[in-house]
Amino acid sequence: MKERIVQYFNQLFEDAPKTRKALELKQELTQNALDKYEDMIQEGRCSEEDAYQNVIQSIGDVGELFEDLEEKNLLELPEKDRKKRAMLKSVAVGLYILAGVVFFGLEMIAWNIPGYPFDGIGLVAAGLICIVPTIMLVYAANMYPGYSKKASTSMVEEYQQEKYRNGRNKEIMVAISGIIWTAALVLYFLISFNLGGWHITWVIFLIAACVQSVAVLINSLRRDKEKRLD
Amino acid sequence: MSITSDILRGHTEAIILSHLLERDSYGYQINKDIMKKTDNRYELKEATLYSAFRRLEQAGSIRTYWGDETTGARRRYYAITDTGRQAYLSYKQEWEEAKEMIDHLLQ
Repeated sequence: MKERIVQYFNQLFEDAPKTRKALELKQELTQNALDKYEDMIQEGRCSEEDAYQNVIQSIGDVGELFEDLEEKNLLELPEKDRKKRAMLKSVAVGLYILAGVVFFGLEMIAWNIPGYPFDGIGLVAAGLICIVPTIMLVYAANMYPGYSKKASTSMVEEYQQEKYRNGRNKEIMVAISGIIWTAALVLYFLISFNLGGWHITWVIFLIAACVQSVAVLINSLRRDKEKRLD
Repeated sequence: MSITSDILRGHTEAIILSHLLERDSYGYQINKDIMKKTDNRYELKEATLYSAFRRLEQAGSIRTYWGDETTGARRRYYAITDTGRQAYLSYKQEWEEAKEMIDHLLQ
């Protein structure tokens, strides 16, 4: 009979929006109904069927409750943050393009002035400019609101939370990789041009690969710890 | 009876607030208390109870948290806030006035 009550609520909430709030409300109402059913059976006031009918009767009209559940999709950022994020991203892309232009511009100038002392200045300047948009992208990736641990109650939600975390984590890792490889490239040309050690400076890329592996490792360790804390 | 329950339904929010003044509680517990206090004569529909919760929460009169029962089902508890206490007091005063006036008018 309890199964029947759960079934009833599942059906009742079939048309409700699929949001976290709706899930929570369903769980809450179902639990209330089960508690009530159990109480009635224990008091021995009525038969199982009567208790079931009574429980269902006392739910009332849930239509107006559903209206309020529409709004928040779990993974959606508030409108304001979304706009900010879009702006950060477009400005970042703009800055990357600027870095490219600066690179070619300065290199061309260097090429045309004989005996120009600062070889590779275009690359260094471009690399420095790249730092700003990279930081902006990292910030944008971190803009998802913190997901409250208290709110998780069911398997579905834990799954959603996990999915959400993975998405966010991936973005952070992409950003970190971006920083590492940009830095490696800049260092490579900077050191090579200035010290002329072209035969050995490629080692920098191996070091960068190493640093990235370490970053991935640290990240996964941290996530394991977080999971255990849950 | 229908007049009685209409009047009572109109005061759902105040009734909830006065229950939460005593202690934090969850949906079914509140409804059970109401039944007990009214000698099983009045019981809120779940939908009525929960739309009242929603309004109270939006008004900042109550807040909610998940209880940590070690056994059994996890429950969402409701607690009254300072705003809620204020709302309750003014509600109560208004009710006293209305009651007095209606008593006079119906004599």
